[in-house]
Amino acid sequence: MASAAGAQATGKQNVSELAGKYLTFDLGKEEYGIGILKVREIIGLMEITAVPHTPRYIKGVINLRGSVIPVLDLRSKFNMEPQDYNERTCIIVVEVQGESGIILVGMIVDSVSEVLNIVDGEIEPPPTFGGGDVETANFLGMAKIKGRVKILLDVDKVIGESGLGHSAVM
Amino acid sequence: MAGAEQGVDELLDDLAVKIMVIEPGDLSSVGDLLEILERLQSAVEPATQKKLQQMIRTFQEALQKLVMGELPDTAASYEKLGECISRMQEVLRNGEDAAPLGSFFAHLRDIGFAVESGATDGVSGGQSGFSRDRELIECFVDEAAEFLGSIEANILQLEKTPGDREAVNAIFRAFHTIKGTAGSVSLDEISRLAHATENLLDEVRGGRFAMDGDVIEAVLGVADTLREMIAQVRDVFRAEADYQPAGIDASLALINRLMEKKKGGGPAEVKRDALPEAQRVKPSGTSESLDLVCRIMDKGAGQGAKTDPGKDGLAEPPVPSPLEQGQVPDFMKDGDLLSGFISEAFEHLETIELNVLELEQNPDDIEIINNIFRPFHTIKGVSGFLNLTTINKLAHATENLLDDVRNSRLSMNSAIIDIVLGVGDFLRNMIQNVSDVLEKGPEAYRPFDIKEFLERIKICQGGDVASLPMPKSVWDVQTPRLQPRQPLPADQSVQESVEPMLAGSRTPEPGVTAANLAQKKNIEASIKVDVKKLDGLVNAVGELVIMQAMVRHNPLIQELSDPKLNKDFAQLTRITTELQKTAMSMRMVPIRQTFQKMTRLVRDLSKKMGKKVDLVMEGEDTEIDRNMVDSIYDPLVHMIRNSVDHGVQLPAERVRTGKPETGTVRLSAYQKGGNIIIEIADDGDGVNTAKIRKKALERGLIQEDGHYSDHEINNLIFLAGFSTADKITDVSGRGVGMDVVKKGVESLRGKVELQSTPGEGSLFLMYLPLTLAIIDGIVVRVGSERYIIPTIAIRESMRPRMENYNTVQGKGETLLVRDTLLPIIRLYHVFGVAGACVDISQGITVVIENEGRQRALLVDELLGKQEVVIKSLGGYMQDVKGVAGGTILGDGRVGLILDLAGLINVSEEMGSGVI
Repeated sequence: MASAAGAQATGKQNVSELAGKYLTFDLGKEEYGIGILKVREIIGLMEITAVPHTPRYIKGVINLRGSVIPVLDLRSKFNMEPQDYNERTCIIVVEVQGESGIILVGMIVDSVSEVLNIVDGEIEPPPTFGGGDVETANFLGMAKIKGRVKILLDVDKVIGESGLGHSAVM
Repeated sequence: MAGAEQGVDELLDDLAVKIMVIEPGDLSSVGDLLEILERLQSAVEPATQKKLQQMIRTFQEALQKLVMGELPDTAASYEKLGECISRMQEVLRNGEDAAPLGSFFAHLRDIGFAVESGATDGVSGGQSGFSRDRELIECFVDEAAEFLGSIEANILQLEKTPGDREAVNAIFRAFHTIKGTAGSVSLDEISRLAHATENLLDEVRGGRFAMDGDVIEAVLGVADTLREMIAQVRDVFRAEADYQPAGIDASLALINRLMEKKKGGGPAEVKRDALPEAQRVKPSGTSESLDLVCRIMDKGAGQGAKTDPGKDGLAEPPVPSPLEQGQVPDFMKDGDLLSGFISEAFEHLETIELNVLELEQNPDDIEIINNIFRPFHTIKGVSGFLNLTTINKLAHATENLLDDVRNSRLSMNSAIIDIVLGVGDFLRNMIQNVSDVLEKGPEAYRPFDIKEFLERIKICQGGDVASLPMPKSVWDVQTPRLQPRQPLPADQSVQESVEPMLAGSRTPEPGVTAANLAQKKNIEASIKVDVKKLDGLVNAVGELVIMQAMVRHNPLIQELSDPKLNKDFAQLTRITTELQKTAMSMRMVPIRQTFQKMTRLVRDLSKKMGKKVDLVMEGEDTEIDRNMVDSIYDPLVHMIRNSVDHGVQLPAERVRTGKPETGTVRLSAYQKGGNIIIEIADDGDGVNTAKIRKKALERGLIQEDGHYSDHEINNLIFLAGFSTADKITDVSGRGVGMDVVKKGVESLRGKVELQSTPGEGSLFLMYLPLTLAIIDGIVVRVGSERYIIPTIAIRESMRPRMENYNTVQGKGETLLVRDTLLPIIRLYHVFGVAGACVDISQGITVVIENEGRQRALLVDELLGKQEVVIKSLGGYMQDVKGVAGGTILGDGRVGLILDLAGLINVSEEMGSGVI
């Protein structure tokens, strides 16, 4: 368990450190995984209050048992085709390292699948793509499990405060 | 025995050679070293070679760490380790008593080995390392603290009823127990001090010696010292903080010196004072405490000598160590202790200031002098212990000065008061600097020159007030002649104040002091709680209230019409409301402290201006949110300064206009509705409305033919830039910093206004919210979104009539409200909300004001007034323009609270809102 968290912190250079438990979820036809230690909880979709003057992918804020936390749409963040929310749509509340400590952020995903234990041998470093359309910095690696590919996300990079900060200008 | 010694000797030599030739990375050789150490361990004589054994053990640990890779495996490390071996050899040569443990541990520390407290206690002990039994020590520390508490309580009891034998016995028993337990864990110094005090008390018990003020002072002094020592033992032992050899060495040296003095010289060495007056009482530090006990014992033994430790004995405080002078990081060793000291010291300084100001009114009140003396004494003690030499010296010198006053060697005069106040300020700066160093590191260190103060204190002690240089730091212009406030014939004042001291009765004189004591009695028991915990509680309670409302309004539950359920709900509501009120009130503090700071300000200002001003305070018990205390300080200072500076006239002028020579500034606080109102009133001339009008016309702020009430004109002084750059007049008129006041108050979501009556004075009114955590807001709807507008910024709201609606160049929209054209902000446009009401005549406009800017805000509907708990949107979305934060509304959804300043700015950037 602990190694997954360590992997998130150290980056993707050392693929073998990435082994550990991951929560996998779907976005369109793709499957993604995030280190289980980053996940605070999974909640169903709830009413979101829009916040003006924020990037398009930030849907707004929700009331998580008394705390106001921001929610972003991961499809929108990755510039994927938008899809209407349905009963399978979930908000994964993750902990990311902010400037002033841990902050909670909700990510809207199509559906949550399972928790997988991914071992060394199954993980490969992320491939490089031409054209710069894909931000590979967001990925820790790719895991091949039973013929399916799971994209392991670096949550801190994807929705870290810095990732938001520069785009918050619109 | 000799054989064993030989063995140790040889083994050490072997070790020294081996470590010299060792190469970094050669861990198998280190293994050899460990083997030798094993043999050394068994070769030493545990009974007689305690220190050496300890050194070997520690050395062994260090080597093991090195093998494990926890310490750097470098040539430098081995060099240091070699040094350590040399130290061990020295112990062997010179004997246990001269063990150079300090440098031994220093070397180990140099290579990064964390020397455990259990290992270092030998250093502190000198010839008496205290017991290494953790449980025993912990037990002793806890017990001793209790005993000291009971000692203090009993002493205070004795002070009231000097003849209470039971109290004396209780104190005696407590000291006796402390002595016994301290002895059993080898805390010799504590044991000795307790023993000496016990002897003294035994004399009292036996009736050979009266329980008088001197004894009480002495015992209290000892109790303070013991508490410090025990606290130190605890800290060293818990190893929460770094070990402080300098502090302990110094106090040890001190104690040893005193012990020698006591044993060797005894009373003969105590100088007799040339002054024939009262015996000096000086409970300061171990030295003085012991000294005092000795002296009283001498007196009791029939020597009858009026003793004085002598000027040279007291002039210099015990200097903890020559090292620390100017060396910044020396006091940096112990963050926990230091930060504790800092916050305490600030409290003490405040106490000092308050009491000094009170003393100014009652220069002869011994009780007040004592109240000033004690905090200085504490600051001195703790700063010395923490190696803050300059602070220690300054506090000590001031303490001496006060002691002279206390003992009537000097009479209290305004020069002394000025010095004490000056020292207080200076100490505050110094301690602030220490705090900065603690936060930002040694670079922040700033040396302070206390020479000036020390000299002035010396001059003062010499009684030569006339030649006293004026304190630069307090005020620099128009100083009135230094005169004792109530000049008393010296001999008379001496008699008056000495008598109670000698009689041992501290019964305060009636009047002010009696009132003081009564006030003190009212102070209730309280505990300190982490502000974070408190905030957490307030938050949780806020949620509880909302959740309860949500459950209650759940349609399913509302369908039920069970009377029991309804009754229970009513009860639940009552409890949660009560809980919320209590939780909120926990964050509230009386405004007293903030007000009291103004006393000093008025005093200094009026002196500087040559005016006579009385500050009258009312409603100091009114409570405000803790988080607000700091923020209202600046606005208050500005307004008070204005009142004294521009409001109250010079004495001559006042007499001419038929007012009493002394002006009055009234500072009052009270609660009214959901607001705290702070009033600052003066009985000066009032504001010169005509001049403000003239200035406002010049600046184009008002129209020549406009109809403005005086009130409106007067309040123009709060406009940004109205007064700061260019004073209203050069003679009078308020103005300096008024926009600062307004901004400060507005940042607290409050407002400020001015009322002025020509010839009678002016009145500032500050409206503040009860708390920062809750905001009074109007919930408005725009499309499907709801926003909260802070009520304090709302002037009015209306359904606009089309005849008042105008556009400029077809774009800039304005609404005519009471003869004023207000730009319209369409909220849905600024926030990009779809489905909102576009037709002006169908919506509602809310007139808002921020920093003097008024706008008409177009919304769909007003939903109601509500108190909401403000929540941050989190670091993630800190700077959303136009949004101050969020809140959880009654239905559990998040509503956004508008930030009007940001909103107005955004709307201006975006341009017109017509779509």
